[in-house]
Amino acid sequence: MDHAQGEPQPPPAAIRLTGLRKRFGDTVALDGVDLAIRAGEFFTMLGPSGSGKTTMLRVIAGFEQPDAGTVELHGEDVTQRPPYLRDVNTVFQDYALFPHMDVQDNVEYGLRIRKVDRSRRRERAAAALELVGLAGLGSRKPSELSGGQRQRVALARAIVNEPSVLLLDEPLGALDLKLRQGMQVELKRIQRDVGITFVYVTHDQEEALTMSDRVAVFNRGQIEQVGSPVEIYDRPTTEFVAGFVGVSNLVSHGGQTYAIRPERVQLLDPTGVAPTSAVLSRGTVTDTVFLGVLTRYTVALDDGGSLVAVRPNLERGSLSESDLRGQAVIAAWQLDQATDIEMSADLAGEHVEESA
Amino acid sequence: MNNALWRRAWLRATLTLSPPLAWFLVVYLASLVVMLVTAFWTLNDFTNQLVQSWNLQNFRDLFSEPYPHIIGRTVGLAALVTVTDIVIALPFAYYMARVATPRTRNLLFAAVLLPLWASYLARVYAWIVILQKGGTLDWSFSKLGLGAPDIGYSNTALWIVFSYIWLPYMIIPVFGAMERIPNSLLEASADLGARGARTTWRVILPLVLPGIAAGSIFTFSLTLGDFITPVLVGGARSKFIGNVIYDNIGLAGNLPFAAALAVVPIVIMIVYLSGARLLGAFREL
Amino acid sequence: MRRFRTTGVAASALLLAVAVAACGSSSSGSSSGGGGGPSGLTAPTADLPVPTSIGTGEGQLNLIAWEGYTQPLWVKPFEQKTGCQVRAKYAGSSSEMVSLLADGGGGQYDMVSASGDADLRLIYAGDVRPINPDLVPQIKNFHSFLQAPAFNTIDGKHYGTSLQFGPNVLLYNTDDFSTAPTSWSTIYDKKYSGKISVPDNPIQIADAALYLSKTQPDLGITDPYELTQPQFDASVNLLKQQQPLVKKYWGLASQEVSLFKTGSATIGAAWPYQTSLLLDAKAPVADTIPKEGATGWADSWLMATKAPHTNCAYMWMDYITSPKAQALQATWYGETPANKLACPIMDKLVKGSCSVLHANAPQAYYDTIKFWKTPLAQCGNGQNNCVPYSKWTTAWTTITG
Repeated sequence: MDHAQGEPQPPPAAIRLTGLRKRFGDTVALDGVDLAIRAGEFFTMLGPSGSGKTTMLRVIAGFEQPDAGTVELHGEDVTQRPPYLRDVNTVFQDYALFPHMDVQDNVEYGLRIRKVDRSRRRERAAAALELVGLAGLGSRKPSELSGGQRQRVALARAIVNEPSVLLLDEPLGALDLKLRQGMQVELKRIQRDVGITFVYVTHDQEEALTMSDRVAVFNRGQIEQVGSPVEIYDRPTTEFVAGFVGVSNLVSHGGQTYAIRPERVQLLDPTGVAPTSAVLSRGTVTDTVFLGVLTRYTVALDDGGSLVAVRPNLERGSLSESDLRGQAVIAAWQLDQATDIEMSADLAGEHVEESA
Repeated sequence: MNNALWRRAWLRATLTLSPPLAWFLVVYLASLVVMLVTAFWTLNDFTNQLVQSWNLQNFRDLFSEPYPHIIGRTVGLAALVTVTDIVIALPFAYYMARVATPRTRNLLFAAVLLPLWASYLARVYAWIVILQKGGTLDWSFSKLGLGAPDIGYSNTALWIVFSYIWLPYMIIPVFGAMERIPNSLLEASADLGARGARTTWRVILPLVLPGIAAGSIFTFSLTLGDFITPVLVGGARSKFIGNVIYDNIGLAGNLPFAAALAVVPIVIMIVYLSGARLLGAFREL
Repeated sequence: MRRFRTTGVAASALLLAVAVAACGSSSSGSSSGGGGGPSGLTAPTADLPVPTSIGTGEGQLNLIAWEGYTQPLWVKPFEQKTGCQVRAKYAGSSSEMVSLLADGGGGQYDMVSASGDADLRLIYAGDVRPINPDLVPQIKNFHSFLQAPAFNTIDGKHYGTSLQFGPNVLLYNTDDFSTAPTSWSTIYDKKYSGKISVPDNPIQIADAALYLSKTQPDLGITDPYELTQPQFDASVNLLKQQQPLVKKYWGLASQEVSLFKTGSATIGAAWPYQTSLLLDAKAPVADTIPKEGATGWADSWLMATKAPHTNCAYMWMDYITSPKAQALQATWYGETPANKLACPIMDKLVKGSCSVLHANAPQAYYDTIKFWKTPLAQCGNGQNNCVPYSKWTTAWTTITG
């Protein structure tokens, strides 16, 4: 981490990870990771399954010991400390609510251990349940709650301890889409309200882009890129990031590889006038997919290769899918809208698609 | 007909189960009822024949010495054996379920189950050899300079042997319950600040409680009903309910009193099972 | 002595053998005719006819026996001689024998090797039938008290033939007793607290009564199996005082052997063949019949009422009472044979076994043995005021519970 070089000194890191390595048998889970997470930020670790992001979270929580490297919390080396001596709390993917305790006891668990007195405990638990929108459900058993409610209890149970860092391991993974979107907004609200550092693990790039202050993209035990959602989306620095976050076309132009987002590719009538500033490629539409908000077109380029473009469906029935299929078009994009990226040899040819 | 059977699963089940069920009802329950009825009869001292007149004398006799004493000893030792097995099984099952590698776990599982393949008597006799005066235990203790404990033929011996014999029946359900606790619960507990002891007390124990209750049904009822081990390793005051029943149905021919005495463990087990059910024992069986 | 052995099962079976016998003649020395049945009891099969000669063998014989009572050693020669193939079912207790022989053996079983306890129960239940003693000529060579004993002969009708017997002796450790103890008082003596071992059997009350009959003549005990309430209470009281001194009430013969072998017990009531086993193992023990006398047990082969192979059954009685077969069984099992002529053959088989097992003892020795009978309410005192066996069981539970 070379923060000193040229850049202004960043605020003190809530978490600083240095040279972390972790193997499970033959599998390398963490392959030398350095990372600093600022206090109070909503930080997301994004990556496909097996990319090391969950291992990272477990190393921070203390459930796993790294083979090498150090974990610092607020400048203090806690690498050797057991979980119960770290000022972090975790929201587990399966919620890990204690099934034999009611919601109240679950939420008070950490306070009880800290010997917070009874009335204070009640107060804080009630406040935490209020915060997550579960006021009055304290006497329920976890088995009597819906998935979304359990998730909120798990959150309340962690937040009530007022940790300096909250770790969330794909907490919304088990919820259906509507609930998930609602919770995304709510999590962000809660994070702003309580002001503690959130470290959020997900494989869902939309979730990452929606909620985060910063995102680290994980791949094969390493961090590919760290940046704000806009940076990650608009200026992916590696082919992997370009492919994993949203959909990107990888095109060669002038001996360089560029990533260009489908929505930034225009499809033009070949008989019309083309903008001179754009990069133009002739081709034929081979496939159109109606996606509701958008329609997606696949264009086979005459020079070989293909491009994906999307257009918003601005008017009802403006473009039915049959309109363009088989038609010759010109695909046009602006160089300043594209990102030149490092081609990593082992990723070449791999085209990661995520629904946008 | 086949169609009707196919559509009515309950009918198929009923038809399949009714012969064995009828057999069970007639042979087993009827015998039980006959036995219970016998408990209200008496024995004619002169002819040694059953007198079929209803009275409660046999049950009244249960409240006079030495029977309360014998019942107390039987229940007390069954409870002690159960507690002992719980204390041993908990760390053992914890190690098996959460610490040991799969290979070690299989080995331990085999070690727990293998004795069940050996004859009950063979295992008891092995303990006689260990516990008797000058036996393996005395020898080991005197080698260590501790003096021979000489606990052969005593209630202490009975306690040790019972605890050993029924231990697998405790370990297996406790292990099952232990294995089913998601790892994340233990991590969550540690994450919220709990050390090992508190996690054990507040999370592990409550969650394996149904397994403990299930195992205790075995250890308690098997000890309660045993009458062979008291003969083989017990001392001068080691009679169990079962021994007294056996003494009375033998040549004494006092079936009514034996039947009345047999009601005692039945009642105790009904009470016990009701309690175990509340603890969720039957979910673990 | 190598052949003196037993098994736990047979031993426990013997232990469980407790007399259900009637009273009648209480004298162990009664030489003929047996005793009359107790008042109010009759044998249902008493009038069944008996054969006058043995016909052709049926080729098969089904026996209910104590384990070890049908060893190939003496069964093989019988099968070769008679062509009767022996099938034996071992019973674990007198109770089991009684239930196996329900309904006269159900046409399945021919004979049972019942002990003195079960005999009369079988006779009065009609499960066994009279035999013709003339077809078992060896009976006249039996010790006189076993020719027609009260436990298998009622009103002159024999329901089987005596087989083997043994006394309950006083076993002691010779390291602790330089001279043989002469009285049963040793097993009631505080001096030997924690070193005493007696059988776990209600009939042990008779042992106490026998002792009291000599030491407290005021009680007026004449027969240890026929006790009035005060006599019974005195006996039970003696045993209650004994209880804290007892190391172990032994249930299996092997337990008594191991108790004495390890030195856990140094004095107690036992059977002669346990002594043999201990001597075999070079344990420092000896046994004696103290001056008060001793209790004892005796087994008989009885004929099932519905025996399907009666000719083979008579051949078996004829064979098993012969001196050779008697000696083989006695030395193998460590019992005293009923047939006096077995003695020289026993010595040939195992040197000195005849005298060790008291097969040639003077009549006075046998007179000291009070054979097990089942205590009944209607006892021989004419007043029918004795304590019945079910009360013995209850009292024994009170003592040892």
